[in-house]
This record gives sequence, structure tokens and C-alpha cells, in this order.
Amino acid sequence: MNLDGLDMSILGPAFVAGLLVLATHVPLGQQVLSRGIIFIDLAIAQIAGLGVIAAHSAGWEPDGWMVQGVALTAALLGAFVLHWTERHFRDVQEALIGVLFVVAATGGILLLSHNPQGGEHLKELLVGQILWVSYQQLIPVAILYAFILVIWFRTRHTRSMLFYILFALTVTASVQMVGVYLVFSSLIIPALAVRQLQRYAMLVAYGMGAVGYAAGLIASAVFDLPTGAVIVWSLALLAALTAWLIQLTSNRMRVTHTRSASS
Amino acid sequence: MKEFMKNIVMLLAIMAMHPVSANVNVFACEPEWGALAKELGGSRVSVYLATTAFQDPHHIQARPSLIAKLRRADLLICTGAELEIGWLPILLRQAGNNRVQPGQPGNFMATKHVTLLDKLTSVDRSQGDVHASGNPHIQTDPRKIAKVAKALTATLAKIDTTHSVEYDRLYRDFDKRWQAAISRWEKDAAPLKGVKVVVHHKSWVYMMKWLGIKVVASLEAKPGVPPGAGHLSQILSQLRTEPAQMIIRAAYQEGRPDRWLSERTKIPVVVLPFTVGGTDQASDLFGLYDSTITNLLKGRQ
Repeated sequence: MNLDGLDMSILGPAFVAGLLVLATHVPLGQQVLSRGIIFIDLAIAQIAGLGVIAAHSAGWEPDGWMVQGVALTAALLGAFVLHWTERHFRDVQEALIGVLFVVAATGGILLLSHNPQGGEHLKELLVGQILWVSYQQLIPVAILYAFILVIWFRTRHTRSMLFYILFALTVTASVQMVGVYLVFSSLIIPALAVRQLQRYAMLVAYGMGAVGYAAGLIASAVFDLPTGAVIVWSLALLAALTAWLIQLTSNRMRVTHTRSASS
Repeated sequence: MKEFMKNIVMLLAIMAMHPVSANVNVFACEPEWGALAKELGGSRVSVYLATTAFQDPHHIQARPSLIAKLRRADLLICTGAELEIGWLPILLRQAGNNRVQPGQPGNFMATKHVTLLDKLTSVDRSQGDVHASGNPHIQTDPRKIAKVAKALTATLAKIDTTHSVEYDRLYRDFDKRWQAAISRWEKDAAPLKGVKVVVHHKSWVYMMKWLGIKVVASLEAKPGVPPGAGHLSQILSQLRTEPAQMIIRAAYQEGRPDRWLSERTKIPVVVLPFTVGGTDQASDLFGLYDSTITNLLKGRQ
């Protein structure tokens, strides 16, 4: 037990980062789940990283906003490729995403093998840890996500091209903030938990995600454990509980329905 | 319920006051500097360790307690020379503690107080994951530790002026024991002079220079890059013509590459603690070198 870490100035920015990530990832996650392309976030994050490594290997030293530009361009290229493959090879889209992931990841290793200086650092540049975020860092992400959410809820995002573009933008930003484990969890776990729910699914998913982040942050402070990993576990446990409760209530409703019908 | 809340508030207030805290709160990036602070500060310091002997100090997972501890620290002791570059700057920013920011007396970087090897005049990217300011792994040479100890004593006296006499006494006592130990280690390690070894990573340059051990090959062609097939076959053919007596690896490093090489060449692998806590025997700074030299002598037979 350690109560030193229970300090709002330490946990506050991390919690806000978590809420921002949830805001975009919960709706995106439902779409990802229904399309059956679970590992697309890992592939996009890897491609964004590969873009930065490639720019570095070519002797160009991207810095600050330039790194973001390079990473986004690479991620968008990946999105175009995935949109194209979905149109032409829909039945193997999930497998192709997996292949793209390993090719991008190993591409980074190959590019860095003869040019390793700062390579480790470059890889870390694109994988954040949630506890390291500051409020200043959150402002541009909040603006970007506001735009994305407006487009998402105002247009027919189910159109494949738009979905892939929004997805690439969202994930490139979130991975740098909280890392791949939390991005994957925020995307898939809440969406999975409310799968059976017909009404208020989005609301329950948001609520469950927020409670999961809060509980994970508190647990990581009290038990002095790595923050990102604890949040993943708290999200997963909470999702199991939520899904179970949904199952329970829907069963009870069915029972009362049949009872009132038979009487 | 009201009573319960009152108790909680009281508890928090007591914790905030820290009635039993030591004079100097030390935040040590690596175990060797935590151990040195304990030797030189005695009961006047309380030490928090950010990493253990089985962690690669280049990388670290973020935990809330790291920020909380650094926020409260009076003295930050790290290796410096870019070893902690991946996490220390962010941690310093998040902690927002002025006492330990760069340029303050409470920001102590051990490598600033010794001459570094492998310093680069120009950063050449073809050389691997090297540190431009020099090789940071100075804790493998006890003579470097002696220099750092002297500088750290001056820093402790500056931060906690009321006890400067005590720090001076502790330093004299430590230095006497340390110099005696160095002569003992050098005598014990005499048979190691000229011994040929293969290293895993370029972590031992200071120790090799101190004991006169010769590095004939390095498993990583370039520091930080996993060995490729070409490099491995080159090492194998090199070891056939110029055999080495042992393969050296730090306790925190992964053992498979060394085992691979050892199986093919029949050269034994020697695991060294690398820092305090790396082996059972290395429970403090003295034990660190006792254990290192014992293991090296055992490997030579």
C-alpha cells in the first residue's frame, strides 16, 4: 500500500487523457468490431512508426510537428491501402491487416539495423505512457478529437474511406499519448461489453470505460504498479462484470415478458 | 460516517506532515547510487530506488509513485550521460520539483564527476546505440565510484549544511574502507590480467580497463542492435583462431544469445551483477565487486 501516488496533480492529466481516448475509441470500436478488423489499430500504429523511422533513415531529421506530419502521412497511406484491400479482398481483410502489421514492424527493424543511433528512442517517440502526459499535450488532441467526433456523428461514417481516414487520425494521436495496449483496450473492451445491449449501448460503454480508467489509475497509485497495465486489467474485469449484468437483466426481462404473455 | 470521514482526514493530515522523515530524501535512478547515498548519508538520508538490478535502466514503466517520490525528493542521483534520457526528462517535468531540476545542487549526475571513455567527437550514426557524451556504465570501476563519492559528499553537505561535519566523517570512513577494498580486489584479480573475453553488450569498458581484461568480441555488432547471422558467424570463426576464456553478461540481460554462443564454442558464460542487487552476494557496493571478481575468477578456471 502506498498513498503517495494518490495525488490529483499526478493522476488528473492521465484521467483526462483516458476520457479523451474513450470519447473517440468507443464509437470507432463498435465499428471495428462489426467489421471484424480487430487488429487495425496495431497495424496503423506500426505504420505511423515506420514512417518516422523511414524519414530518419533517409537522413531527414523530423522534429516536433514534422514528426507528427510524417507519422500522420504514413498512417493515412496505410488507411488508403486498407480501404483498397477491403474493396478488393474483403473476405481476407483481417488477415491482410495482420500481415501489414508484421511487415511494418519488421520493416522498422530492418531500417534500423544499419542505422541504429537513436532508433530505440524513435520507437518510443510513438508509443506513449499514460502517466507522462501533461495538460498542454492534451489540448491539440482534444481539438483534433472534437473535429473527428463532429464528422463521425454528422456524416455517414460507415462509408469505408471516411472510416479509415478518421481511424488513422485518431489512433496516431492516441498511441503517442497512452500506448498501444491502452488504445487496443479502449477500442475493443467497452464495445465488446455492450455488444448485447440494444438501447443506451454507447452511454453504458462510455460509463464503463470511464470507471475502468478511474479504478485502474487509483489501483496503480495505491499498489504502486505500472499504470497502463493496471488500467487494461481494470477495463477487462469491469467489462466482464458489465456484460454479465446485461445478460442477467435481459434474461430477467425475457422471463417477465414470457410470464406476462402466458398469464 | 461523520466519525469515519474525520478519521480519514486526520490520517491524511498526519501523512502530509511526515513527522518521521529523514533529513535528505534521495531519489536514486540506479541501485549503485542508492547504495552509495546510504554509505555516505547514513541515517541522515532515506533512499528511494527508481530501478532494480534486473531492469534495463534505459527503459522504465511509468508508475504514480515515481512522480510522487521525485516531487518530494531533495536530491536526485542518476548516472547521466544520456543513460536515463528516455524517461528522466519527462519524469522531471511531471514532478515539477525545483530542487532537483538540472543546474540545481539537488540534481547530481555521477558521470559529470569522472572522465568518460568512448567519448565521441562527432556522433557517427553508423556506430550503433552509442552515447555521444561517453560510455555511462562507470559503476564497473571502483576507482570511479571513489571519485563520485567525494563529489556526492560535497553535494550532501551543500543540501543539508547543518550536518556537513557528519557527512565529512562518513566520507572519510567510507573512503578508507573503499581504498583498502580496491587494493584487495586488485590483488585478487591479478590472475585476470590479459584474459580474453567475449562481451554481450558494451557495458564493461571501465572494468576491462581497470583489471586489464581483453575484449576480443562483442555479441552485439553495434550496441543496442540484435546480432545478425553474418556477425555471429564472424565471431564463431574468430573464436576458433583466437579463443576466449569466458562470455560475460550482466544479470539484467537476456541469456539466450550467450547460451547460443556458449553451446557452439564450449566457452563458459559468466553472469556478473553489474550493479548492487544483481546477485545475492552483491547486496551492497562492497559486495558488488566481491561478487564480480569471485565470478570472474570462477569463470577463468
